[in-house]
Amino acid sequence: MTPAHLATIAMPVVAHALDHVPGLLLGLPLLVAASLVFAATRHEDPAAIKRGALQWLGWLGAVLGGVLVAVLILASLA
Amino acid sequence: MVAISPDDGSAIDLREPARAALLSWLVPGLGQLYQGRRLKGWLFMTAIVGCLLAGLWIGGGRVAYCLWKPGARRLEFIGQAGIGSVALPALIQSWSLSTAGRPLLPGGWFAPPLMLHQPVAQAYAARLQRSEPALTFYRDARDNSLRSGADQLSVWYLALGRFFDVGTLYVTIAGLLNLLVIYDAWAGPLRDAEPAVAGDAGPPRGDRAKAGR
Repeated sequence: MTPAHLATIAMPVVAHALDHVPGLLLGLPLLVAASLVFAATRHEDPAAIKRGALQWLGWLGAVLGGVLVAVLILASLA
Repeated sequence: MVAISPDDGSAIDLREPARAALLSWLVPGLGQLYQGRRLKGWLFMTAIVGCLLAGLWIGGGRVAYCLWKPGARRLEFIGQAGIGSVALPALIQSWSLSTAGRPLLPGGWFAPPLMLHQPVAQAYAARLQRSEPALTFYRDARDNSLRSGADQLSVWYLALGRFFDVGTLYVTIAGLLNLLVIYDAWAGPLRDAEPAVAGDAGPPRGDRAKAGR
């Protein structure tokens, strides 16, 4: 069985499993990964990377959360 | 070549920056491991390869490919090309598929979708018919070539729905984040601009930290 076969079999299973995950939660791993990479490309010390990652997580979360709130408000007005 | 740590002013041995950058392009974090920066290497590898694999899993293995034809340009590939282990096979598959009859890499990974009426090799068509029964093929009476009777991208969208886009987003962001990692392997940590303090004509922050020790 080739990877292409496996992927074809897995597709409906994956889609079904992910259907039960709220869309917003799918963005969280990206947020965490981006925060870690942003912090680790600006620091060398592990403690500083950890601190920086938390700061980036706060910033990105606040900015994207703000955009989400704005979109929700606009959607409720439409 | 040596860079200065922005945290404590210590020297960071970048060994051969060009080689490290190339390694980081091929596999995120590999350049940092080559430089002996183990923590950062594993961190980058976990974060970016994790995003990449999650994206491929969410997108059923279909979301990373190169298609650059008029009317069907895969702009996301610009971001995805930030990871060499994705970009290279995707480019090879795209090049192989552009001429019917050329064999594809094993497994068909990173192959672009067939467009409607696109000529296709017999072996690849047979493989696709087994793995994706919704696809159809026909013989063109003019040149007796085998052609796709369906738009494969539509078949993928039908099977995956919004998860095709979610998977694409994951892989594209992984590629874009890797650009920062490549820069880190090439030139060391990014440094924020030094704050301009009136009357402070002292050395850069790293050197100040050294002087304070």
